Amino acid sequence: MKTQLHLSGIIAACALLGTTAHAGDLTVKITDIRATKGTLMVSVANTEAAWNNQEKPVAAQKIGATDKEIVLHFKLPAGSYAVQVMHDENDNGKLDSNFMGIPSEGYGFSNNPQVMRRANFSESKFEVTDAPTAIVVRLR
Amino acid sequence: MNRRALIQSVLAGVAASALPGLLRAQTPLGGGFDARIANDPWLLGWKTFGRESAGPTTATLAGRWPSSLTGTLYRNGPAWFDRAGVRYQHWFDGDGLLQSWRVARGQVTHTARMLATRKFLQEQRSGKFEVRAAGTVIENPAPVRNNDDMNTANTAVVRIGKRVFALWEGGSAIEVDPDSLQTRGPITWRDDLVAAPFSAHPLLERDGSAWNFGSLAFFGGNGLIVWRIGADGQLQNFQMLEAKERGYLHAFAMTPRYLVFMLMPFDLRHVDGAFFEQMRFAANRACRVAVVPKDALDAPRWFECDFAAAYHFGDAYERGDEVIMRTVRHLDAEEARSPMAQAMRGQRGDTILGTDLASLHLNLNTGAARWQSHEIAGLEFPIFDERTPGNQPALLFAPCTVGAADAPYFNGVASVDAERGHLQRWRYGSKVFAEEHRFVPKPGSRRPGEGWLLGTLLDYEHGRSGLALLDAEHVADGPVATAWVPYAMPLGFHGWFAS
Repeated sequence: MKTQLHLSGIIAACALLGTTAHAGDLTVKITDIRATKGTLMVSVANTEAAWNNQEKPVAAQKIGATDKEIVLHFKLPAGSYAVQVMHDENDNGKLDSNFMGIPSEGYGFSNNPQVMRRANFSESKFEVTDAPTAIVVRLR
Repeated sequence: MNRRALIQSVLAGVAASALPGLLRAQTPLGGGFDARIANDPWLLGWKTFGRESAGPTTATLAGRWPSSLTGTLYRNGPAWFDRAGVRYQHWFDGDGLLQSWRVARGQVTHTARMLATRKFLQEQRSGKFEVRAAGTVIENPAPVRNNDDMNTANTAVVRIGKRVFALWEGGSAIEVDPDSLQTRGPITWRDDLVAAPFSAHPLLERDGSAWNFGSLAFFGGNGLIVWRIGADGQLQNFQMLEAKERGYLHAFAMTPRYLVFMLMPFDLRHVDGAFFEQMRFAANRACRVAVVPKDALDAPRWFECDFAAAYHFGDAYERGDEVIMRTVRHLDAEEARSPMAQAMRGQRGDTILGTDLASLHLNLNTGAARWQSHEIAGLEFPIFDERTPGNQPALLFAPCTVGAADAPYFNGVASVDAERGHLQRWRYGSKVFAEEHRFVPKPGSRRPGEGWLLGTLLDYEHGRSGLALLDAEHVADGPVATAWVPYAMPLGFHGWFAS
């Protein structure tokens, strides 16, 4: 279902990914967290396939939503990436949505594209270089 | 309905309607609008309320308020149109303002309170419009999680059981405290139905239970959902109905046995703009009408009829093989897409509303559908006595324009016996606007039509708002009593009388 934001994929990625050596520093500041409860699931994809859960993301983290803003750090090779964040507010392991698939829990994408649907990879893609990179993902 | 197909079409529609237009500038009209009121005081009807509340104010009374009349007339409508020099261009975009006119022991008290929706609170904090709207493009809008982030709760109000709800048409009902008018928040009838559209026009059964629908047109879907809410204010039933083509519907009608939904076809232009800027009624295509048995919501009977643009419906009744539904057809579909568009811009260009009272005859035996015009023009917001038997047409009561009017909005109220061609009208004056009049049965009465009309007024010449009470059987005699507060409230849409 298109509107489902593939939370299960992110959860799996959070569990499977280990730490490897990387060159670029990516700082992701997550803002507009409406409820300071539950868990933020963050995944970083470097391909369309990874964005669409057909491959593993290159990085993923999960962290408690303990504040209105949370900052995360990733070390990545220089390249093109896209970040998606989901806020599992009730820790039931999924992004809650209604019968039409419209979410009732928070989510966001890098570049904060102005779309009322799941953003696609090209809309969310940004560049990481050898210099530190910082982005802000506004949850909705 | 094929759920996957529905959802895919929902997504396609949302993408089509929400993506374009984000870069288009709004017209900064805010300061200009208020300056125009000095010359055109009738624009008070579309002026931003600008406060979070007003009252309670004891109204100044005239005439005789019956001691047997006790209750509250709730009113809802858009009331906040300007922020930071930007003015909405579509009347439907304004944030909702709930008002109450309490009638008790011969006194009338007025209270008003802005509905504290998520959108309103967010924009009160920021001081600017930042949430996308249905009829106006907002520059760099804030991200929205779902349709309820845009919910202005600005269209109607209803009491189901002991619960009072402010209603929009594209999202959840917003519950309010019946006395203080404080906002309690959006209602989720069932977990999987969070943020599902609950229209502004529910209809109540005599046992106090309610029917309502939610249009999927705003989400790109091709059908509607049907809600059944018990007299206890709890969800009883929910049904999705698929239509062959997407259609806009704002309200519906019902007989003792059937719900009747008329879907008006429309197209979305692939141009920049908000929903109502992109949509165009497709007057060259037929409306699709669903007649849905109340005891078999999954078995609608579909009809096709000549196109009509109609927001509001009166009664419906059953006679022989026919279900007959009355409505107010807008003669200019473009006007219907954005009513009072010139007034919203502080200009005089709107014309007196062109409408035609008509009956839609739906033959359950032959499947035929035909319109019958009653050749009664200029009405809107029709109301009737719900005690009228389901096999006969009801008297309709509606605001109208009577004689000269200094501004392009209703200045009177009418009682219409469409079958007999009898029309009673009362003209409040050239400089008084009349809004929807609710029907209130007289205590102890049984005869349909035996009751009062309670309607709100805006006397823009004197900068005051008021309440009029008429005998519904003697509309031409004018109000038997009035109540006025010494300030002007913006015009609203729909109300509800709770005794």
